[in-house]
Parts: sequence; structure tokens; C-alpha cells
Amino acid sequence: MKMNAQQFINRELSWLEFNQRVLGEMTDSSLPLLERVKFAAITASNLDEFFMVRVGGLQILQQQQVTTTDAAGMTPKQQLEAIQLETRQMVDTLYRCFLDQVEPALAEARIRRLTPDQLSDTEQLNLKNFFLEELSAVISPLAIDPSVESPLTGNKILQLAVLLGDKERGDHSRLVFIPLARPVSRFTRIPSTEDHCFILAEDVVQMFVEHFFPGEQVIHSASFRILRNADIEAREDLAHDLLLQMEEMIDARKTAACVRLEVSSSASDVLLERLQDFFQVSEESTYRSPGPLDLSAWFSLGGLRGYEDLQYPSWPPQACPQIDPAKSMFEAIGHRDILLNHPFESFEPVVRLLEEAAEDPGVLAIKQTLYRTSDESPIVKALVKAAERGKYVTVIVELQARFDEARNIEWARDMERAGVQVIYGVKGLKTHAKVCMIVRREPQGIRRYLHFGTGNYNEQTARFYCDVSYFTCDEQLGTDMAGVFNAITGYTEPPTLHRLAMAPLTLRDRIMEEIEQETDAASRGEQAIIRAKMNSLVDPKIIKALYQASAAGVQVELNVRGICCLRPGVEGLSENIRVISIIDRYLEHGRIYYFHAGGEPHVYMASADWMPRNLNRRIELLIPVMDPGCQEKLVHALETCFSDDVKSHQLMPDGNYRRIATRDPDNPVRCQQVLYERAVEQVSLAEQSKPTRFEPHRRPDRS
Amino acid sequence: MSSSTISQPPDSHLQARTVAVIDIGTSSIRMAIAEIDEEGNIRLLDRLQQAVSLGKDSFTRGRIRRSTIEKCVEVLKDYLQILGEYGVPNPDQVRVVATSAVREADNRIAFLDRIYIATGLQVEAIEEAEVSRITFLGIRPRLEDASADATDRIVCEIGGGSTSLLLLKSNRVVHSQSYRLGSLRLRKSLEKFGATSDKLRSAMETQITQIVEHVRLHAPEGELLDLVALGADVRFAARELIEDWDPEQLTRLPLEPLTELTEQIMEMNPAQLVQQYQLSHPDAETLGPALLAYTRLGRALGLDHLLVTNTNLRNGLLQEMASGETWLREFLDQVIGPVLERGRHFHFDEAHALHVGSLARMLFHKMLDHHQMDPRYETILYIAAVLHEIGLFVNTTSYHKHSMYLIRNSELFGIGPTNLELIALVARYHRRASPKQSHRQYRVLDREQRVVVSKLGAILRIAVALDASRNQRIHSVSVSEVNGSLVICTSDVDDLTHEQLALEESGSLFKETYGLPVLFSAGTGGSEAS
Repeated sequence: MKMNAQQFINRELSWLEFNQRVLGEMTDSSLPLLERVKFAAITASNLDEFFMVRVGGLQILQQQQVTTTDAAGMTPKQQLEAIQLETRQMVDTLYRCFLDQVEPALAEARIRRLTPDQLSDTEQLNLKNFFLEELSAVISPLAIDPSVESPLTGNKILQLAVLLGDKERGDHSRLVFIPLARPVSRFTRIPSTEDHCFILAEDVVQMFVEHFFPGEQVIHSASFRILRNADIEAREDLAHDLLLQMEEMIDARKTAACVRLEVSSSASDVLLERLQDFFQVSEESTYRSPGPLDLSAWFSLGGLRGYEDLQYPSWPPQACPQIDPAKSMFEAIGHRDILLNHPFESFEPVVRLLEEAAEDPGVLAIKQTLYRTSDESPIVKALVKAAERGKYVTVIVELQARFDEARNIEWARDMERAGVQVIYGVKGLKTHAKVCMIVRREPQGIRRYLHFGTGNYNEQTARFYCDVSYFTCDEQLGTDMAGVFNAITGYTEPPTLHRLAMAPLTLRDRIMEEIEQETDAASRGEQAIIRAKMNSLVDPKIIKALYQASAAGVQVELNVRGICCLRPGVEGLSENIRVISIIDRYLEHGRIYYFHAGGEPHVYMASADWMPRNLNRRIELLIPVMDPGCQEKLVHALETCFSDDVKSHQLMPDGNYRRIATRDPDNPVRCQQVLYERAVEQVSLAEQSKPTRFEPHRRPDRS
Repeated sequence: MSSSTISQPPDSHLQARTVAVIDIGTSSIRMAIAEIDEEGNIRLLDRLQQAVSLGKDSFTRGRIRRSTIEKCVEVLKDYLQILGEYGVPNPDQVRVVATSAVREADNRIAFLDRIYIATGLQVEAIEEAEVSRITFLGIRPRLEDASADATDRIVCEIGGGSTSLLLLKSNRVVHSQSYRLGSLRLRKSLEKFGATSDKLRSAMETQITQIVEHVRLHAPEGELLDLVALGADVRFAARELIEDWDPEQLTRLPLEPLTELTEQIMEMNPAQLVQQYQLSHPDAETLGPALLAYTRLGRALGLDHLLVTNTNLRNGLLQEMASGETWLREFLDQVIGPVLERGRHFHFDEAHALHVGSLARMLFHKMLDHHQMDPRYETILYIAAVLHEIGLFVNTTSYHKHSMYLIRNSELFGIGPTNLELIALVARYHRRASPKQSHRQYRVLDREQRVVVSKLGAILRIAVALDASRNQRIHSVSVSEVNGSLVICTSDVDDLTHEQLALEESGSLFKETYGLPVLFSAGTGGSEAS
């Protein structure tokens, strides 16, 4: 099959389409109001990351006058122009909806953002005291010398730019920045009996800004925010001490080129010009915001307590009936494999497994990857405890998890102090696999307990990311995993794996083989089905294989939450491929692959998206789920995605997405709700099937 | 893919012990960690491999470079870390062996000492014959499991430093041979002379042809034959060429695609192989020559396929650890075939030889309190007993000396040069003069070995005397110490005059060694032994 550029969708534009769908949730008035606020914050935060990671890289290519095209046939310049057009429209829609619909609705619901002119005299006085006594102590204005670029003009941080001088003489030569970063809270509560009222930090500081500059005249002030290019990575080939170099890289990111200047529309032309000069930002990269900058801060407001009627009903994570809280995790896993669908089912068993491992006298060793985890992570604590108890603990910390580098360096040092053997990733490859292996001596011999995940070891994000956990003590998977750990910790050359596949060595090949086998089956006139769920589909080779599968008659159903460069439904190319995307209250994050294989399906979970970076430049794992019960559960979760007609969009041949209409308004299918209800139902079925037994509370020594 | 539930370790793994074997080879240091249960079942837990350039050093410079030694220390320290993770605390549970690259290095003692100082690991530099025997021990269960087209098999391993060859009949070894020719040794010796790649290839072909010719000489003509190929290189080929290869089984590897793959590989240099196949550099260096040799061998034997399996030296070492006290029986069982083949080659009196052998073993057991030797020496005694008369093939005069040199110049499966020398000397001292300092071969032994030769030679003399009639009439004896003499009684016969005479003619070695004269006594006390 000959490929041409029309057969691919540009990845940046596809990503913008994704963010457009997130924005679509915000503009959907049928959503609970505070959920819309959250989606506004997510749209804004996604856009920030997109600018830092993608636009930064493209700008560099453009500056270097690179004219090579991507798979979709676009040069960096063309891509940047298209991005600019799209993002401006997106930002416009975001603010229009936020200011015209969401904020008025919030006010109606008694959640009000006050501006200085709306404050009473008493409120102003209280605020002034607050400013003088608390706020001013933690704020440090920075005088700006135009000839020197200050390294401290931080990335992503909301700041106030202040022009000082003599208004009458037209002298406004002095420029000062006031960063409003931590510990300054963006929202200051204004006490009120009934309403939740608040004022923004930039408004408070603007009200009293002259207190910082006694004897000087404040001519003008306005809030602004810059984003810097974060497409800077550690040069591992030069790094003797990766830890040290990562710290240097984080510093470098603080002074990298500015890719976007966001400035309040109240800023004067003079101030704007000074900012553009100082940060060397063109008009194309300057965004004037009609409302408050950095809407990502509103995420916390979305979770405001006491306003549950404005939020989605609570779906507390369910306990998995296969796991008896009174018995150890080792017993449960030893009994049979367990698969959990997070966040509908609780992440607690994962944490519990590690906590039990730390205490269990039979446990000899724990090996674990950590890509991103929470502050105060109970998993890190359990690992530290295990090491302190003399167990062999090896942790592969990925220092290069973007934007989490600083936090990862902290854990790495904490764990090293406790005696954990910390491996700082693998040279040239990011360790993205999510796996934990516990080696335990039992009366029958050594047994290896495994936990594979599609999400990070982060009990916080596990509450709102749709991911899969798989516990097993399968002998062959254990042997494979021991080999993988030995290889990535440098103890052995890469082993031959029997069941697992691993990127960058065999994962791509395994996926290609599976696709080709379906293609062959379809060519023979047999039933052939591929279903897959992932975050992004970018890899041109896999896309090509899927086009070939489609041409042979394979039924291909893809649930791609974010970027999808495959163009589905095109006559003669991809008419048998259907691509949907679900945006709902939880972030779709799991990677699940299903291949029909003549009726004995091959079902996998994975840490990898079908992107070149995942398949070529990362340590990723593809795990076959063979236990019949777990396989059935995983396939059910996957199939439910494709029957969603409430929260899913379908990718059209022109690259646009269209919301899928509810087929039966009396029986709408909302995937996440179905999965949650199934988790609840499983618990209740298990309760019903339990014989009534009284369990008295005994003294501990008698139990 | 078939569906499966979780696999439980079998119940028989009660009180399993975790053990490890480490094999320091020419291009890699490999470790296998396993559990052995009470019944001797082996469960492999982990396998590790790291590349080292021992072979490159040894085969080009004759010694191992300091940097290579330190790399080996580093690898072994890594392995100790992993052993800790499996709770293998004590070096008794770890057997470390080194093969030709270490054995042949001038500075092997410095190497072994440095490893011991840095890691506490005792490395045994094992001889080629030992490697063959142990590897065979590992592969034997696979051979027995596999349904065979042919009754004769050649098991061949082309290693980095040497090639070993076993000829099997009904899965028993009848002939073994090893050559100081390995894939890496070949490449290095040719590179040393600055051969160009074309010349390198043709020189390799010539050397390989020599081996092939030699193998053909031993291959039974007109018989249905299988060639079992071992080693990392052929395992690589099997992974590349056999879809869904189950490495645990003996599997057919067709020769035609193997030849094509070999040609492709021979076209590439090691750097290109590393790039394309993700091999370590040392592995990449051996791949081409090894595959070339296997394909040539296969073709020379008129085969259309080879048999491959993932069995290796480590499997054999684990088998040996699992066999525990049954080791000796297993060992004898393996080596006896080639020993008999040697005897028959020299037209020995097989019945007499075997009978003397069994009498010698019986005496070895009954005299434990007197000789206090390690049970392993029973094998030396037994083989010496079986072969003690092969010198008669040359001449009846001083035939014990002919026996000695015929044994010394034989290759016996599983018997390394040191043990072969001991066997030759024990056989030599089954009659006539006692060992003396003036005997050159005896003089060069260390004291422990000299004592072994004397003790075993003395026992062999008794065994030979007990079958002086050559009609195998004495089957059981008892041994006791009476009034300062060692009394050997049998109830199998009434008169032992002939045997006693033979004993006296054979000299005074026993008394010189054990400080006791030996007396034969007939009619009583022999019934207890059998």
C-alpha cells in the first residue's frame, strides 16, 4: 500500500482537536456547573503544556528554517500557523464561555469572584490589613534591568508587571515584576455569611501595590504570564551524574526561550511593548486575555466542598470482592489473578500489597518502577520501610518524567538514604513501564508476585484516571519480569521473553505481528477483529498496518482519547476502521489491546501508546492477560467504551470529531457509569453470596 | 496463545533449596538460579548473562587483561546482589566454573585469586572433558524425552574456545572428543595474523573442514543419524528461524534456512550484527564462525536439519547439584560407555576387566576406614581397573607401562587430563614395581596425587589377584584387621592358593602404603558382602 500525506492527520492539529473536546465539556451546559469549571481549568492547563512541549520544539525548527514535512505533509511553519489559528479560537471560546456563562452561573449559585470595586469599605480595610501583615511579607518585587535577562522570571508563574516613574514627566522607565507564586494563594476568601466570595491575588496586590514602592509613583500595572520552551532534555551521553544534570536541566528550563506571553487585556500598549521586548516575544506569540489569566488554578474551585449539587455525584472507589480485607494480598493473589478497573475499583490493594511486603518476613526483595507518584507517597514510604527492614529493594526512578523531575529527584534521595538501590533510569530510554515485583520465600519455594499497571503508582491520580491493575504470581510472567528487571538494572543482557513484550525490543514487533495475523485471517475470509484503547495513535508503521488490515476486511475499533493521526472511514483506505474518543469525568488512560485470533482472543494491557516515542525510546511493557476471569473483565471494559453514546466522539474522515448521538434516550450508555455500576454490583453480589456470620471483636491476643 | 490460570509451584517443592551456578565462559559470564526440592526436581528461577572479553584476551594475548579481570569482578558482584535478593546466603549453594578462556590463560591463578578476594567465590577452572560430561548431564533428560528418528546421535557444541563432540548410541555416550578449536579462538587466531575478511572466511572454512572430516570418521556409516547442536549461537539461529520455538524441547532446525542465515551473517561484521540483532559484541564475534561450522557439519553428515535445545552447561551443573549422593552412580553410568569402547578397541578381556572393576569398587567401599579417600576416587579406581590390561594389545612385556601410555593418550568422556593421568598411573601400578621417585610421571605429581596413586594402585593389586583365575569366581568378600594383618575373606571358594600366590607376585605396595600385609582367607565371612 502506497502511503501519502493525506492519509495522516497532523499530530498537533489532532491534539488541538482533543483539547477542543475537553473544551466541549466545559461549554456543555448540561454538565454540573463546578464540573464545567474543572474542564475550563483542564483546557487551560493542557494548552500550557502543549505550548511548552510542542510549540517550543516547532519554533526552534522554524528558526532553524527546517522545511521537512511531517507524515501529514506539513512543514514546521505551516504547522505553527495552523496552531496559532486554532489556539486563538480556542482561547476565545474558553474565555467567552467562562466570562459569559460560567461565572454568571457561579454567581447565581452564590460562588462569586469579586473585583476591587465590588468590595465594601470594611472589606477593603480588612484586605489591606491582610496585605500588609501577611501577603507583603511573602512577595518579593524584582527590579528588571532590560539589558540582563533575569533567570528568576519564572515559567508558568502568574506575575504582576508594574511600571514606576513620574507620570507628569512621562517617565515610566522602571519596570518591576511581582511573582505571585507559592505560597501566595490565588484565591483570597472574602468573609460572607451565605456566599462563597473570593478575590484574586493579582487584584489584591494591584490594590495595594504602591506600598512596595514608597516615594515612587506607580504608573500602571497588569498581570502577565509566560510559558517557556520545555522541550529541553538531559544530554545523557554527556551526563556522568544524571541526577546532577537533571537539576541543571530544570534550571535551564527556567531561562529557556519564551513561547507564549499571556497578558491581561488591561495592560497598556507601553507595558505590553516592554514585556514583548524583554521576553523577545512576537505579536503572534502574545495572547491578550479578557479574563483572569491561568484558568488552570480554577481546578481546585471545581472541587469546592459544600456545593455537591453543582458537582457529579460521588462515585466512591469500590472494594474488589476478590480481595478479602481480612486476608493478606499474597493470599488473594496466590488464590487467583486479580484485575482492577480504576478508579471504579479502589487503588488501595496496590498500596496494601507494598505495605504488606515491607512487613512480611518471607519477602526477600522488591523491585519497582516509579514514573510519577504523589507527594508523601505511601508507596515510597513502604519501599523505604522495606529497605530499612533489610529487604533488597530496587527502584527504577525515572528522573525524566516531564515536569516531575524535581519531585522525582527528592524521592530518589530519600530512598537512597534508607538503603534502597535506586537506579536512575536507563540511558537513552525513559522507563515508562509500571510494574512491581515482590520475591517471597514460601514453604513451596520462591514465588514472585507481580503488579502491572497502565497508570502511575500514584494513589491520588488513581482516583480520577481510568487505569487497569493486574496482580498475578504466574510463574512465566514472573520469570520474564525478573529478566526485564535484571536487564534494566544492568545485571544482564536483555533476555528472551516468553510472554511479555518489551519496548524498545519486541513490543512493536508483537503488535505488528498481531495486526498482521488478523489481516491474514481476514484475507482468508475468517472473522478478524482488532479493538484497542489508548491515549494516542501516532506511529506511521502501525497506522499503515491498520490500513492494510482494514483493506483486508479486519473490523478495527479504536478508542483513542487524545492524538490520532490515523484517518478512519476513508473509502479504499480505512472504511473498516472506526475511531472514537471519550472525554468524561475521569481521564481515560488505560491501554488495552484485543486481537480476535480466530476466537481465542489475545488480550493485552500495556503501558505504551502506539507512538514512536513509546515504541522506540522508552522501556514499556505489553502484558498478556490470560486468566479467563481477568480477561473477561478487561474485554468487557474495552467493549463498553465502544457502546458509549453519551460521552464519546467519533473521528470523521476529514479529521474532525463529531459527538455520537444517544441511540436510545431512555437507555443512554455512558461507559464510565456502566463500569462504575458494574463495580458496585459486583460488591453487592459478593455481599449477598456471603453466608451470614457473626464476627465478634476479640482481644488481639485471642484472635 | 493458550489460556491459562496461574501456575502454582508443584507441591513437591517442599523444603526446596535455592542454588545458583555461574559459568565463566569465553564471551559471557552466565548465571542460573534455581530451586531444587527434596526429590531433586529443578525449578529454574532466573537466568543472567553479561558479556566479557575473556576469550579475546586469552586467545590473542595468552593472558587476561587487568581491566577484563575487574569487569569480571564487577559482573560477579552484580550476581551476588541478585543472589542476595533470592536469599542465597552461602557460597556452598553456588557453584562457579570457568572454561577454556580462563583455564588457558597464563595468569589464571591471579584471576582466580582476584575473584576470590573480591567476591568470596571459589571458581573451578574445569577441563574440557568435564564440560562435555556436565553438559551431557543437562541434555540427557531432553534426549530421553524426545522421540527419535535415529538411534545414533552426535551432540556437538562449538563454543568460543573449544568444540566438543559426543557420539551417542541409544542416548549413551560411546565416544567423546574435544578440540581446541572454537568460534572465537578461530576468529582471534586468524585476526592476529591480520587476515582480510575474504581470507578470514577461507581460513575458517579450512579449519572447519578439518573438524568435519574428523567427525565423519567417527560417525557410524550408513546409520540414521541426528546432530544435536548446542550453544548460544545456534540458539540465536533457532530463535530467528523457528516460529514459536519452545527452547525446552529438542526441536528441528532445517538446514536450508540456517545456511541462508549463516550466509547473511557471514556478510556482516560484528558491529553490524550488534546493531541489527541486538547482540553483545563478544556474541557477535562468534556467531558467524559457529553457524558456519554447524551448517558444514550438518551437510557433511548428509542431514537436512539439526536438532536444537536451550540446554547448556548450567543445566548440567544444576543436574549435578540436584543429584546429590547419586552423583557417583550417575557419573559412572555416563562414563562407562566410552571406557568400554576404549577397552574393546584394544581387545581387552572384557569379562575379567569388568570383574576386576567391580571387585576394586567393593574393596574401595569395605576399606573406607583404611584409605579414607573422597568417594570420587572410586571412579578413578574403577576405570583404572577396567583398563589395567589394555597394554597387552601392544606387548605382554611390561604391558602395565603400555596400559599407562595408552590411557594417557586416550580421550575419555568426562575425564579431564588430571584424572586421566591418575587413572593411567593407577593402572600402571597394578603390578610390578611400586611407585618410585625415579618414575618420571609419578614424580611430577603433587603429594596428594602421589598418595592417591599408591593407595588405589595397592587396592587394584588385590582386586586383580582376586580374579587371578580369570573365571570370575569370587563375587563377595569381607575385610577385617586381624593381628596386624588385613584379612580378606570370601565364602565363594574353598581354596585361595592361586589368588594368594598372585597377590604375593604382585609385590609389596599394599604393605608399603597401608602398613599392613594382606592375607586371603577362604570359606568364612564372605557371605555378608555382595
